[in-house]
Amino acid sequence: MAPALLFVGLFVMIPLGQLVAVSLTDRSLLGGDRFIGFTNYWRIWNDSNFWRALVFTAKYTLILTPILMVLGFLLALLTVENTSLKRVTRTIVFLPVVIGLPSSSLLWFWLLDEQVGLVNKLLVELHVIREPIVWFATAPLAFWAVVMSITWKVVGFGMVLFIAGIQSINPDILEAAVMDGAGYWSRVRLIILPLTRRVLLLTTLISAIGSMLAFDQFYIMTSGGPRGQTFTAVYWIYQNSFISFKLGYGAALSIVLTLIILFFSTMQIALTARSVET
Amino acid sequence: MMRTCGALAALLIGSSAFAAAAFADTMTMWVRASGVNAATHMVDLWNSTHPDKIELTTIPDNQMVTKLATGVQAGDVPDLVSFDLIYMPDFMKAGFLVDLTDQLKADPNYASVAQAYKDIATYEGKLYGAGFTPDVSILVWNKDLFKKAGLDPEKPPQTVDEIHADAKKIRALGGDTYGFYFSGACPGCNIFAVSPMMVASGSKMLPANGNDEALTGEGVKDVLETFKEMWGEGLVPKSAQTDNGANFTAEFKTGKIGIQGTGGFLLSDLKKEVPNLNFGVTFLPGVKAGQVSSFVGGDVVAIPKGSKHEALARKFISWELTDEAQLEGLAKNNIVPSRPALADNKYFAADPRVVVTAKAIGVGYVPWVFHFADMVNSDSSPWINMFQRAIFDGDVDGAIKEGREKMKEIAGQ
Repeated sequence: MAPALLFVGLFVMIPLGQLVAVSLTDRSLLGGDRFIGFTNYWRIWNDSNFWRALVFTAKYTLILTPILMVLGFLLALLTVENTSLKRVTRTIVFLPVVIGLPSSSLLWFWLLDEQVGLVNKLLVELHVIREPIVWFATAPLAFWAVVMSITWKVVGFGMVLFIAGIQSINPDILEAAVMDGAGYWSRVRLIILPLTRRVLLLTTLISAIGSMLAFDQFYIMTSGGPRGQTFTAVYWIYQNSFISFKLGYGAALSIVLTLIILFFSTMQIALTARSVET
Repeated sequence: MMRTCGALAALLIGSSAFAAAAFADTMTMWVRASGVNAATHMVDLWNSTHPDKIELTTIPDNQMVTKLATGVQAGDVPDLVSFDLIYMPDFMKAGFLVDLTDQLKADPNYASVAQAYKDIATYEGKLYGAGFTPDVSILVWNKDLFKKAGLDPEKPPQTVDEIHADAKKIRALGGDTYGFYFSGACPGCNIFAVSPMMVASGSKMLPANGNDEALTGEGVKDVLETFKEMWGEGLVPKSAQTDNGANFTAEFKTGKIGIQGTGGFLLSDLKKEVPNLNFGVTFLPGVKAGQVSSFVGGDVVAIPKGSKHEALARKFISWELTDEAQLEGLAKNNIVPSRPALADNKYFAADPRVVVTAKAIGVGYVPWVFHFADMVNSDSSPWINMFQRAIFDGDVDGAIKEGREKMKEIAGQ
């Protein structure tokens, strides 16, 4: 216990305390380090760009998380048995997970390019579209382009967790259900889903927190554009801290985002824990 | 007797060489990655002609401010620093740099340095740095496409309207040949290559403080209207809308773009990569004939407070402004000098396009503002928002109004 506490204290609590302290100052890389109380927090309240970025981040999280959950679960159902073909399929689906997020974002950025991108070329050759789509010209298209790239990148992670969850179910239970005449989808709905609920919670949490902290993919693929419509909360923190060099304000934004994520994560854990008990 | 004299002379020479070696110092210099090529030429020249040496350290562009700011606070700074000139006002105000007023004002070479470099390095009447490795924006045109379109290949557009008219004729060639190009999602590219057209037309771009006006004059509107029309008429490739600068230099190299505002750095790339591309270089025009301007960019060199070899660093700054350094360090390597009077030199004589580029520094401007990154360079800046809203959404007046308000708000912080 003590080493864990020491670790958390050293690497989480002390930096967090420092972050809170910085958030109460007007510290900037270009001068200024006065204590200004809660002025930064009051500025956040009036910062329409931050709230717009936060709403966009929430929308991204609410859309992406179910996609990752459903697809991950379905892929797990498809590949849960340990046959050679299914193992290969699992490996292929999981492969993008080991690629770095900046690399995969850059890969998709060029795949979707309207001049040299393979996606447009394929769609034109298949006569799905007449001329190449400029994917990052409008906010909705840019949004779906990022969702597509992230789904490709991380769906394998959820799949592997679900496979582990499904494989840990006692086969006798599933066998008994078969003998009782339960069909495939009945077994999925009444046995597999309830017994993998903890995995579902874990996967949802990881996915939701990851989405709330989204940065690289938007930084690389959309640059926050067009006209700042695809800024995420973390992107806005980055802009303030490392482009505008307002470290105090950036720290305050980080604290607010941390509290928001903490609140929703706690809610989610509490709700899921209650449903597991019942 | 002769032998004794010879021995004495040898001893003297030997001891002076020893003394020079013994007292030679090594200075440190930080340079941002974008300027490292030019800085290396200058430093190599210095090192080969001076007993005191310079050790160059490359800092990634986006880390320069952080490194220098934390370095100044910790007392751990290089002796010299070469950085993007747009940060000069912020650094001077923050007190990061050594005052060089007396030295530079007494330096005859400094008098002929481009005015833009003098302006950007002045704060409250004092001078804190000098132009070091310049870059400047220009207009390039593809002479072969001009000829094919029935235009005079030796007559570049003289006004913004002529750019529009010429671009229309070039686009009429059809296919994937376009009249004009700009990187629609790149704030830096457009302040560099488009804002000089507005400045040439009489506009002032950015406010120096919260009481100052932004985007004044009709030039901003006129240029944006023309760009909007060129975009609407399909004279610019669709990909321009989302180009965040990745294709800023690539498009013209394809030979399928008629006209583009770009940087002097493109010249050596074009000559090396597409030697058969027949192109010309001219100043960026305004709305009326005879109006010209450019954006003077590149790096300035300054001495951070806390430099351990300040006297030597001052010597380097005086040296880098001399004819020798400007010509043998910069011009010889196809880099334009920071003194426009040196544009006509033996190294540029073979290519008049380089001479035009070097002269563009003399007609150029650089905005003197704090928070340049917030106002212009950031992905959410009022500059890029105005640019995109005006051209791609077509709301020129609304875009300018919003741009003015937001810029003023930032300047007042």
